Amino acid sequence: MSNSQTLTVDHDSRPVCFSTRFFRLIRQREAGLLLLISLTSVVVGIHDVRFFSVDVWRDILVRCAPTAIVACGVMLVVVTGEIDISVGSLMALLAAVMGRMLSEQEFDISCWIGIPVTLGLGTLIGVFTGSLVSMGRVPSIIVTLGLLTALRGLTTLMMGGKNIDRLPEGLTQVAKQGFLGVPISILAAAGVIGLTSVLIHHIPLGRRLYALGSSAESARMAGLSEVRLKLFAFGYTGFLTALATIVDVPRLPKIESGIGSEFELLVVTCVVVGGVAISGGQGRLIGVLLAVVLMTMIRPALTFMDIGEAGEKWTRAIQGMFILLAVVSDSLFSWRQRHSGKVHAA
Amino acid sequence: MPDTGGGRSYAWWHETVIAVLLVIVLQFAGWLVPGFLKLQSQLLLSRQLWEFAILALGMTLIIITGGIDLSVGSTMGLSAVVFGGVHSSSGSLMAASLACLATGLCCGAVNGALVSRLRLHPLIVTLATFAAYRGIAEGWSQGHSYSRFGDAFSDLARGSWLGVPLPGAIFVLMATGFAVFLSKTPYGRFLYAIGHNERAAKFSGISVNRIRFWLYTTSGLLAGLASLIYVARFDTAQADVGKGFELDVITAVVLGGTSIYGGRGTIPGTMLGLLLIHETRLLVSRYWGSDELRSIVIGCLLIVAVLACQLVSRKRRS
Amino acid sequence: MNRFVCFCLASLAIALAVPGCTNNSPSRTAETSGENSKAPAGSRKIRVALLPKIKGISYFSSCYKGAEEAANELGIELIYDGPTDGDPRKQAEMIEQWTIDGVDVICVAPNAPDVVAGAMKEARAAGIAVITWDADGTNESRSFFVNQASAQSIGEGLVNAMLKDLGPATEGDVVIISADATSANQNAWIETMKPALARSKLKLATIKYPGENASNALADGRDVISKYPDLKGIFGISTVSFPGAAEAVEQSGKSGQVLVTGLSTPNDMKKFVHTGTVRSVVLWNTVDLGYLTIHVAKALATREIKDGTTTIKAGRLGEKSIVGDNVMLGDIMVFTKDNIDQFDF
Repeated sequence: MSNSQTLTVDHDSRPVCFSTRFFRLIRQREAGLLLLISLTSVVVGIHDVRFFSVDVWRDILVRCAPTAIVACGVMLVVVTGEIDISVGSLMALLAAVMGRMLSEQEFDISCWIGIPVTLGLGTLIGVFTGSLVSMGRVPSIIVTLGLLTALRGLTTLMMGGKNIDRLPEGLTQVAKQGFLGVPISILAAAGVIGLTSVLIHHIPLGRRLYALGSSAESARMAGLSEVRLKLFAFGYTGFLTALATIVDVPRLPKIESGIGSEFELLVVTCVVVGGVAISGGQGRLIGVLLAVVLMTMIRPALTFMDIGEAGEKWTRAIQGMFILLAVVSDSLFSWRQRHSGKVHAA
Repeated sequence: MPDTGGGRSYAWWHETVIAVLLVIVLQFAGWLVPGFLKLQSQLLLSRQLWEFAILALGMTLIIITGGIDLSVGSTMGLSAVVFGGVHSSSGSLMAASLACLATGLCCGAVNGALVSRLRLHPLIVTLATFAAYRGIAEGWSQGHSYSRFGDAFSDLARGSWLGVPLPGAIFVLMATGFAVFLSKTPYGRFLYAIGHNERAAKFSGISVNRIRFWLYTTSGLLAGLASLIYVARFDTAQADVGKGFELDVITAVVLGGTSIYGGRGTIPGTMLGLLLIHETRLLVSRYWGSDELRSIVIGCLLIVAVLACQLVSRKRRS
Repeated sequence: MNRFVCFCLASLAIALAVPGCTNNSPSRTAETSGENSKAPAGSRKIRVALLPKIKGISYFSSCYKGAEEAANELGIELIYDGPTDGDPRKQAEMIEQWTIDGVDVICVAPNAPDVVAGAMKEARAAGIAVITWDADGTNESRSFFVNQASAQSIGEGLVNAMLKDLGPATEGDVVIISADATSANQNAWIETMKPALARSKLKLATIKYPGENASNALADGRDVISKYPDLKGIFGISTVSFPGAAEAVEQSGKSGQVLVTGLSTPNDMKKFVHTGTVRSVVLWNTVDLGYLTIHVAKALATREIKDGTTTIKAGRLGEKSIVGDNVMLGDIMVFTKDNIDQFDF
C-alpha cells in the first residue's frame, strides 16, 4: 500500500451504479467467466442432456450458496487489501459449537437461542481477527493462517472423536426441503448478495472500503478510520461464515471435524478468479458470483461427462486448469489488466 | 502501514524475540520431557525438519521480494510421482532423481514465467498451480503409490554420516550459500529493493522480471530436492507427498521475521523460525501426545509471536 | 553492527541453554536411561502406544474405548495419538518419537504400510515390540498382526452384502464413492471389489473421489443418482462418503430404490438403517478390536506370547487363536435393521 501506483484509482474499478446497463456490468473478466460457464454447460449438455434438468441446476445452486455467502464477505476483506484464509476452519468450529448446542444428544438448546449464539460467535471471531489485523498490525494472512490451524485443532478437540448427529428436526427439514419450495440456503445467499450489493453501491461504508483498499494513505488523510473499516470487513465475514454454516451444515448427514476442509481455498480462489485485485481496491461482486458458479459446476459437469474411472482421478487437475485458464486468459487479452498487474506487493 | 523495517538498527528485533522464545521453549521442554535436549535424539528427530527447511530457503527469498509461492507442496507431489514413474520404468535411481529435480525445476519455471511474463500476482498464479500440479500428479499416477526403492536409497535420508544426517548437511551448505547470496551479493540486495519498492527498483535498472523468474524456478528446484529427500525417507512416492507443506513453510518463514509485505527477512531468522516450530511440535507431541493440540499451539504461536514482535518493535521505535 | 551483536547474544543464550537443561534434572535423565534399557517390565507400568490411522473419527474412537477398558484392567499406561488428517508420514514420525521416548510396545494401524515400515523397523531395532492392528504392515516391520479382516474379506464382504440386499440376479449400475485418489486402504478394497463385481451382474459405472469432505461426498452422491438412471447401489467406502451417499439417496427421494452399503460404525448409520436407505452396514466389533490389541501388547511385553504360540487369553473375549503371526479377532459383521440397535459404538 505504500506503493505509489496504487494511488491512481482508475475509473473502471469504482463500484458501478445499479442503473448501469447490463453490458457495462459484464466486462472483460465477467465476460470470460460467462463464456467459460456457458461453453462448459453446452459441451456437457450435448454429451448428456440430463445435465440441463431443473433438479441438477437446483442442486448446483444449493452447493453454490455457502461459497457465495462467504465469498461476499471475503471479497470485501480482499477489497480493503487484506485476506482471510481461515473461513474453512471457522466453519468447522461453528458447526461443532452449533451441533453441540442444538443436538438432542448433547445440550438440546432451543434453535431460537442456538442460532443467534452461533451468529454472534462467528461475528465475534471475525471482529477478533479484524482487531489483530487493524490494531495489532499483524498481517492478515498471518493471523488467518494461524487461526486456520488453531481453529481446526480446537474443533477436533471439542468434538472429542465423536460425530454430532440428530440436529433438531425443524432445522434439518428447513435446510433440506426449504421454505415454500426454495431451499433456505438459496434464500440466504440471495439475501446476502442483495445486502452486499447495496452495501457496495449505495452506502458510503462500501465505498470507503474500496477507498481504503486503493490507498490506505489517502483514505487516512480523508479522515476514514482504518480500524473501524477493517473490523467491519472481518466481522462481516465472520457473520456470513456463521450464516453459511447454519444454512448448509444441517443438510449434511452428520457433523464431523472435517467439515469445511479446503473451503477457505475454494472461497479465495473464487474471489481471485472473479477478478478482485489481491492488492485491494478493485473488484466486482458479479465476477465473484460467476466464479463461484464456475468452480462449483466443475464436479457435476465431470460426473455428467462420464469420464470413467481413470478420468475421475484427473478431477483436481481439471479444476486447476480451469482456474489457470480463468486467471491467465484475462491477462492475455486485456492490456489494462496487464498494466495494473505490475504492482505486486499489497 | 507495511512494516518494512524502516529503522535499520531495529532490524534484528524480530529475530531476537524469536530466539528468546526458542530458549524458553527449550528450557520448558527439557524440564517437562526427560531427555528432550539430548543431542542424539535431537539429531535423530531432526530428520522431520529438513524438507521444510530446504523449502523455507526458497520461500524466504520469494517473500522478501513481496511474492509468495503456494505451490511448493503440490510441486513436491508432482516431482515425487515423476520420480516413481521413471524409477518403475527405467529402474535407475539416478535417472529418477534427475527427473524428479527436473520436474521441480519445470514447475517452478512455469510459475516464474506466469508471474514475470504475464505479470500476474504470485498469489493468484501459485493458487492456480497449487491445484493444477497436485491434480496432474494424481491423474498421471492414478493414485498409485510407488515403493521399495531399496534400503541404500532410504538410508540417504534416514541414516547419518559422522553423526550428521545427510539432508542436514545439504541444508547447512545451502543455507550458508543462500545467506551469503542474500547479504553479500548485489543480486541479494536487489531482492530487498524489489520488496521495498518494485517500481523504484525497476527504474534503478534492476531487471525485476528476470530475477522474479529465477526465484520461482529456484523454489521449484528446491521443492524437487525436498521431494527427493521425502520420498527417500518414507520409501514411497505418491501424489499426496507434500500436502499442506506450503502453509507450514510460510508459517516458519514468517515466524522467522520475514515481512509478508516484502523488503525484510534473513536466512538466520528463517532458521530460527524453523527451529522454533520444530521444537514446539516435538514438545507438544512428546509431552501431551495430542495431534490436535499441536495445531492449536502452532497456530497461536504464530499469531502471538508476530504480534509480540510488532509490539516490541513499535515501542522501540516510538 | 548493533543488530548483529544482538543476534549473536541470542544465539549464545541458546547454546548455553542446551547443556544447561540437560544438567538441570539429573533424576529425570536417570529415569529415562532406565526406561531405555529394556529390562523385562515388572516393577513399573508397561507403556503401550496405540496409533490409529486417523485420530478423531468415530471408528477409531470406538477402538480406543475398548483399548482403554483393557488398559484399565491390566494396569497399563496407554498413549493414544495419531494424525488428525490421516497422513501416514505423520504416523511414521510419531513412531520415531515413541522410539526415542522408549515405550514398551507400539501398536500401529498403518495407513500405508510401506511409509511406516522404516520407522517400525527402527523401533524394533531399538528393542521395542511392534504389532499392527486394523491393517497389516510389511512382514519384517512387526511381530504380530491383530487381524480383524483382510482387504480381501472387506472388499468381498461389501459386494456380497450389496448382492444379498439387491437379490443376486439384479442387473444395473453401481458406483463406488471413495475418499481421495491416493487413499491406500480404499484403493486396496476397490481392487478386491472389482473382481467380485465382475462375477455378478452389476456393472461398476464409475468411482468418485470426494476426498474427506462431507459436502463433496453428498454432492457426488446426488450427481451420480441423476446421471445413471439405472443405478441400483452405491458403495460408500470411507467414513465420510458412506453417510454422504446415504443422505444423497434420501434427499433425491430414492430411498429403497438405490441401496447404499459400506463400512461404518453402527452408531453413525443407525438412522439410515431405520429409514431403509441402508440395509447392511459392514464392519467388525471395533471395541473388541481395541481391547484385543492391548491384550496382545501386554502379552508381548511380558513375553507371554512369542513366535509359535497358538492361543492367547484375552480377558472377557476368552481365548483367541493365533494363526501364524496373525491374532484372529473373528469375522466381519454385517449390521442390519434387526441387530444394529444391540450395538453401541
